[in-house]
Amino acid sequence: MAGVRLEGIYKKYPGSDKASVTDVNLDIKDKEFLVLVGPSGCGKSTTLRMIAGLEEISEGKLFIGDRLVNDVAPKDRDIAMVFQSYALYPHMNVYQNMAFGLKLRKFKKADIDKRVREAAKILDIEHLLDRKPKALSGGQRQRVALGRAIVREPQVFLMDEPLSNLDAKLRGQMRAEISKLTKRLETTTIYVTHDQIEAMTMGDRIVVMKDGFIQQTASPEELYNHPVNIFVAGFIGAPSMNFISGTVSEQGGGLKFKATGVDVAIPEGKAAVLRSKGYVGKEVILGIRPEDLHEEPVFLEASPNTIVNANIEVAENLGHEMYLYLNGIGTETVIARVDGRSALRDGSSVKLALDMNKVHLFDKESELNIFEN
Amino acid sequence: MSTTEWLNPLEHILNCPVRLVTLQQSDWEELTQKSDRVFYSDDNNSRLAAEGSRVEQDGTVWIVVSNANKTIEAIEIESPGLQQRELELISWTLRTQSLRNQTVKTSAASLSESENFALKLSEWIQQQLESEEPSYSIPDSLTAGGKLFAEMIPFLLITEQPNTTKQAAYSELEKLLRSFLADDILLIPLKNQEWLIWGPASLLRDADSELADDEDEETVEDSLASICHGLHEMLASEWIGECHLAVAHPTSPAKGIVETTALLRETINLGRKFHVGTNIHLPWMLQLERLLNAIPEVQRSRYLEHSLKRSELFVEAEMLATLEAFFALDCNVSETAKKLYIHRNTLLYRLDKLKQETGLDVRQFRDAVLVKIILLLYKVTKRN
Repeated sequence: MAGVRLEGIYKKYPGSDKASVTDVNLDIKDKEFLVLVGPSGCGKSTTLRMIAGLEEISEGKLFIGDRLVNDVAPKDRDIAMVFQSYALYPHMNVYQNMAFGLKLRKFKKADIDKRVREAAKILDIEHLLDRKPKALSGGQRQRVALGRAIVREPQVFLMDEPLSNLDAKLRGQMRAEISKLTKRLETTTIYVTHDQIEAMTMGDRIVVMKDGFIQQTASPEELYNHPVNIFVAGFIGAPSMNFISGTVSEQGGGLKFKATGVDVAIPEGKAAVLRSKGYVGKEVILGIRPEDLHEEPVFLEASPNTIVNANIEVAENLGHEMYLYLNGIGTETVIARVDGRSALRDGSSVKLALDMNKVHLFDKESELNIFEN
Repeated sequence: MSTTEWLNPLEHILNCPVRLVTLQQSDWEELTQKSDRVFYSDDNNSRLAAEGSRVEQDGTVWIVVSNANKTIEAIEIESPGLQQRELELISWTLRTQSLRNQTVKTSAASLSESENFALKLSEWIQQQLESEEPSYSIPDSLTAGGKLFAEMIPFLLITEQPNTTKQAAYSELEKLLRSFLADDILLIPLKNQEWLIWGPASLLRDADSELADDEDEETVEDSLASICHGLHEMLASEWIGECHLAVAHPTSPAKGIVETTALLRETINLGRKFHVGTNIHLPWMLQLERLLNAIPEVQRSRYLEHSLKRSELFVEAEMLATLEAFFALDCNVSETAKKLYIHRNTLLYRLDKLKQETGLDVRQFRDAVLVKIILLLYKVTKRN
């Protein structure tokens, strides 16, 4: 097994002024599960394809283990890939599909058989070994594609949206299986997805990308609780973080955040940072996650300085929780996540307390998190 | 280049008489004994009349051009005024040329029978493709004893990264294709990094499943597409990395090799032009693109300019991705929303917005066709 190191990697396509991937530096540790996440066109797949050797690296160095592999062909990089558009070999049965790569590498028949059967057992596809791909369901095909990668016992697994062709239920199931599998095989894995739930649940570390740049590299908890900018804050979490434009102002010895329908006290610790960085009297953007708006009486009583009044446009009850789509807090719709047993209904008004210890404040110009930079 | 071709230019450059003479080994030895100065070009200085060796006597110089079976071909230069450095340069050139010829001969001799045959076939195909009146049937001398009359599946492969030498690439690729497809494949190198591959038609049967549901039976196009996807996956991961692959309907190479090659080339060109980022190109999926490509550039640009004036919405990445998915899923709202991981209402909102701004409702067939054309034209022209 091996780690992967990217040093100052760029990708520029001929005829394009802008780089698709800019100055990517990553040190992926041995056995680590790293997820590259971001919206479509952010450069995550291009980065993975450069690691795979399917795209040429325009600038920078790529190491797998200690070996510089910029000019090494994909087949010689000791990696195994499972891509969104994975294709099984239709004229071969499942066994032959999994054995083909090993046969090419001149493995002994007995070794091939052992590896294929072991992988089939792990993936629970032993009973399918004689079948052709056409006779398999989507989930079974996906397992065969994984099996083809597993038998190679590579140094690194590269996966590009491998679950996106599966339905929601199967996707959830396979998500857990891939996590279990990579832990069991102890193989370094780089996984690309646009789905932040996959990213949050599978990754040891997550790299958030946008427009070819890395925005933040951190553990799922760190990303969720300490996003470095508005983009990361809005991208991670569902429903996403609410953003309210307003002003920081001095009042009665403390600092307040004021916006349309909002006049709340900023806790001392945060206020000290704002003062030291010169944000008093300036416009900032407040970010608050839906679960940090509270309607419980206990919370309202405990936080009299952070209460806002809002009207419920829509109350979506999912059973275990309820999403309130609110107006009156700032100028945009704000979403609050409350208990599913709440009696709140569409069109009614509600009092909510903002958990100001959990809010983030972002610089209006740079969009950077004032408390994290 | 033959000796006669370079003799006259050399005479012109040196500005003195240069003749080609034939000497026996004994003549050469006599010359070396009598001469003022002898230069042996071979590295071991073995006193042989190797190419580039020279003898100087009374203002005349003999330089060996070739030496075969003790018959030496040499150039005789009559010029007492030539500098040593000039003579050395001529010797060195002849020696280098001789080494190069040897390499070419050795490599030609080491070509496999199948590669030799493929090279001849390749030359013939390219001649036909460049000809104004191409012949569509392979001459008898190139039908490989009737082997090429059987129906086969044609693929055209274009690799993006140069492999090792062409010869090494041929044998490596041929071996790989034999283990992947079948022993009876035909591999023809065309232009640089372009390969025509013929696989047995039996692959179509092999791809069929004994358990396939009758109602769910695949068309030939579906089977060809899945074979093409499989082959691409194998080539990308086990051989060269990024590559483009096209496939066409099975045909007999003896009858259809020229037309098929032209069709596959056109398919890859259209695919690369209209669908950047796609590596597998299927001729039956590029009918509209073929038609649009035939419209003169000026008219295409004018139509696009007129259409884009209606709204900038067409060029927004989110709208482009939405419409791409919507058309790929046959204008099915639920499936598209699922594919894009968005709520059905979000999709409907985007489509309504497009309708409001452009007057085109892609849920209506007539407007959907227009928007599809606009998108295809936009993809081509935005890169120009």
